[in-house]
Amino acid sequence: MPWKPILRQLWLPALVFLVLLLSTAGSTSFYFPPLTEVLAALWRELLHGGLFGDLLFSLRNILCGLALATAVGVGAGLVIGEIRTLRLATGPLLDFARATPTVGFVPVIILTLGIGSGPKIFLIFLGSVWPILLNTISGVQAISPAVHETARGYRIPWPLRLRRVILPGALPQILAGIRIALSVAVVLMVVSEIYGSPVGLGNFILQSGSSFHVAETWAGTILIGILGYGLSVLLLLVEHRLLGWYHQRAPRVRSPRPDRVQGPDSPDSPDSVKSNGVVV
Amino acid sequence: MTRGSSLYVEDLCMSFGQGPQEHRVLDGLTLRVDPEEAVCVVGPSGAGKTTLLRCLAGLARPTSGQVRYGERSLTEPHGDIAVVSQDYRGSLLPWLRVWDNVAFPLQGRGVKKAVRKRRALECLEAVGLPDVGEKYPWQLSGGMQQRVAIARGLAYDAPVLLMDEPFGSVDAQSRFDLEDLTLRLRRQLGITVVVVTHDIDEAVYLGDRVIVLGGSPTAVLDTLLVPLGTDRDQLSTRADPRFAELRTRVLALIRGERMPTGPEVAHQ
Repeated sequence: MPWKPILRQLWLPALVFLVLLLSTAGSTSFYFPPLTEVLAALWRELLHGGLFGDLLFSLRNILCGLALATAVGVGAGLVIGEIRTLRLATGPLLDFARATPTVGFVPVIILTLGIGSGPKIFLIFLGSVWPILLNTISGVQAISPAVHETARGYRIPWPLRLRRVILPGALPQILAGIRIALSVAVVLMVVSEIYGSPVGLGNFILQSGSSFHVAETWAGTILIGILGYGLSVLLLLVEHRLLGWYHQRAPRVRSPRPDRVQGPDSPDSPDSVKSNGVVV
Repeated sequence: MTRGSSLYVEDLCMSFGQGPQEHRVLDGLTLRVDPEEAVCVVGPSGAGKTTLLRCLAGLARPTSGQVRYGERSLTEPHGDIAVVSQDYRGSLLPWLRVWDNVAFPLQGRGVKKAVRKRRALECLEAVGLPDVGEKYPWQLSGGMQQRVAIARGLAYDAPVLLMDEPFGSVDAQSRFDLEDLTLRLRRQLGITVVVVTHDIDEAVYLGDRVIVLGGSPTAVLDTLLVPLGTDRDQLSTRADPRFAELRTRVLALIRGERMPTGPEVAHQ
């Protein structure tokens, strides 16, 4: 039974892999070595070369940068979203910050902060904080006025309101922001390691590329892809766990239908079960 | 022993906008609701009924005049007053389970989790929903969601329950059930109930008194006593000649006032 959905999702990636494997098999092209050779290089470098260290370095940077961006973006976003004066005042500034490509900051950051791990984390943070911040602000604003009024009417104290009303209410948009931030972060992780870094995946592909180790270069590139994909799958799992209520509720909200006339509201009458939308 | 205090509305005026665009909605409303009384405020759509209720709840500040609860002027929500709004979809939090929604106001008071859960389940049972505590609100029908909202009001343990068009968006059958539920809870718990509605039948069925609003800007047209006792039921009460007479009088009041400008409003 669980085979079918897995099969339905996996047949195309498997096919692509197979096509790549077959089409590059026996390739004599210098730039497009056989896939088997690339995978062998990946394995070799991970086990015996420095690639595993590079991977850890990159992974640590991107996770630190994203965690920092999430903490700052969500924290500031909740406050700015709640306070109208602050929202109006920060609006133009935030739009400016969002419109400025973070990659442009690379030379300045290397110049001022040097080439260690810190400036890379900072760069990843700088690029990924904006989508999270902006999404948090609009998520807070999107909470229905009825929800706010309920919280006010029942005199829910401020910290509790923030934790159990505003934060969960804005969570769907916050997570969408983190998803955007993740792709920005992967780009910045690579870029930050290409310029002025002795370690990291970006440095690995730069070094192996400029010394014409083509298989290694491909291997590094594939590893970066796997890293990005792995992180986004992880995020999706987190999202699924946190937003169960949102995804299951969605169909009913999108197509609201008038409540049907039905018998006494007993939860076990088949009619009400059907109209409950429990099964989605 | 009566709980809670009387609610007083004194010369309440409410305007929206400023300067030449100023639009006066409520014009010098004065009324009073005593403890354990059930009062229905009825009026046509757009008469500012919700605005009045928000003032009663301390959620809105009147332009002039005041709302008092006992001796205290109501300028912000009071712990003795619970509100059930028309928009149950918006007022129940979709990320909290049903029991947690009901218990949430108690968490605001610092009640421990086990205690508030027990209380929430009791209140859910009181509104006829013994088995839905662990579900989410959006898994329930409209009528059931509105029951949850009422249970939340009960769990708050407020002597005064304000209801804004509480049954406006549920189907007819659930509506009758919810009306009877309101009557029963009121009888059992001795709470004060204020229901704002545009439905004349509902107002007469639920109220000890019916306050009729009308005119533009809105003023109190009249207050009618409903001499139908506290034991009412959908069949015999609605068939009672006094019921019919009262609803005709309310309708005439509203219609008489609205006739020159918009006769279609009087159609209920």
